[in-house]
Amino acid sequence: MSELMIAIPLALALFLVLFWLLRPRRRHPGAGPSPADMKMESILPRHYRYFPQVRQALSALDEQYLRERASPKVARKALRERRAVARKFLAGLREDFSCLERMARMIAALSPVISREEETERLILGMRFRLLYAWVWLRLSTGRAPLDQIEHLTGLLGSLATRMERAMTAIGALSAPGLNTGLNA
Amino acid sequence: MSHRELLLYWSTAGLEIILCIFVYVRKLQRYLPIFTAYATLLATDTLGIQIVYHHFGFRSPESRSAYWMITGVNVVACGFAIAELCRHELRAYRGIWKLAWRGLALLAVIFLGNAVVDAWGQPNRIAIYGLTIERDFGVASTVILLVMLLIRKYYGLGLESLQKTIAIGMFVFCVVDTVSNTMLRDLFTSYIFVWSEHESQIGRARDLWNVIHTSAFVISVSIWCFALRKPLPAPERDPVLLPLEVYGELSSALNLRLRAFNDRLLELLRS
Repeated sequence: MSELMIAIPLALALFLVLFWLLRPRRRHPGAGPSPADMKMESILPRHYRYFPQVRQALSALDEQYLRERASPKVARKALRERRAVARKFLAGLREDFSCLERMARMIAALSPVISREEETERLILGMRFRLLYAWVWLRLSTGRAPLDQIEHLTGLLGSLATRMERAMTAIGALSAPGLNTGLNA
Repeated sequence: MSHRELLLYWSTAGLEIILCIFVYVRKLQRYLPIFTAYATLLATDTLGIQIVYHHFGFRSPESRSAYWMITGVNVVACGFAIAELCRHELRAYRGIWKLAWRGLALLAVIFLGNAVVDAWGQPNRIAIYGLTIERDFGVASTVILLVMLLIRKYYGLGLESLQKTIAIGMFVFCVVDTVSNTMLRDLFTSYIFVWSEHESQIGRARDLWNVIHTSAFVISVSIWCFALRKPLPAPERDPVLLPLEVYGELSSALNLRLRAFNDRLLELLRS
């Protein structure tokens, strides 16, 4: 009976996996675009547009100013709010990462030849990012991550978005109908 | 055959005939020829084995041997139908298909190798051999179907409704059959040395297995019939693929960027 004891829960788990695999992707506020309605402009990282404000909110000078001038209560409140901003920024970072990841998969799906090494690397990068993201989010929430370090990430996304916009415009000019047909299938 | 066995037999045969009619009326052979052959084989086998039952008797050793032989043929045909489904679903995306088919074939070889090794060590009874191989085939089919669906989900590719329903039908049958085969095989192997003393218990377990096995099959065939009740939609056009150099230029650049994201997060954690 031992094998049966393993087989029954495993079968139930497999049915759940099947349900998850066949479930159409649901969009929720803050999530990236779904493959069904993926268009060039929605794939590109978008959150970098708010980075100047994020930078300002996270700047070390601001923090110093608050510590020197504001009452401890106000400074604590401000620090909490700054951490909330940092968390929101992290969420945006995740969304932009997902967009890029999806764009890479879309390009792979529509390519006549793809590289096993690069696909495997991307899969690992995606899993690694999610782990790191969870870890950073936890540290931010517990107040153990320095905010000025988060600021460095804004620069990374800004330059990335500009490059990707150029690249995607080039792909769009090449075969936009192909992309849409493929991903709306 | 008891009344229950007759009911199960004729409901299976009836549904298989309906499936065959639907398959040919909808001209499924144009899109999924192996699945069409599989559906035809199922109906032919079910009707054919009735001749053996009639001639030799339902519980005769000849009928049992014929049953296991037909089961073997059906299992192999089901494997080919699953391979065809995977190919049909992924071949339009040439790059992915080139990468995926090797992985899927490797998985199939590993699982089938496991089935052979597993069956090799079993006590010398055709039922135990049959159940072991059928169970391992079921596991292999389930895993391959899930991997195919996983690849499609990962790359954000949709699944046509008919193909989705065929996959669900196959999945349901394979999973339920694997569990029921495991149950009966466990029982057979535990009672192998005292078989004659527990004949009635083994008989009851076999009847239960028969009900589960046939019911799962009836559910699967019903799912396929339901999917084929309406005329098939026009097949979707194959996607227009990008020029070869686009992937070469962008993929590594994108990976580089994704890696940079990870590096920065890691730096943040180390700071």
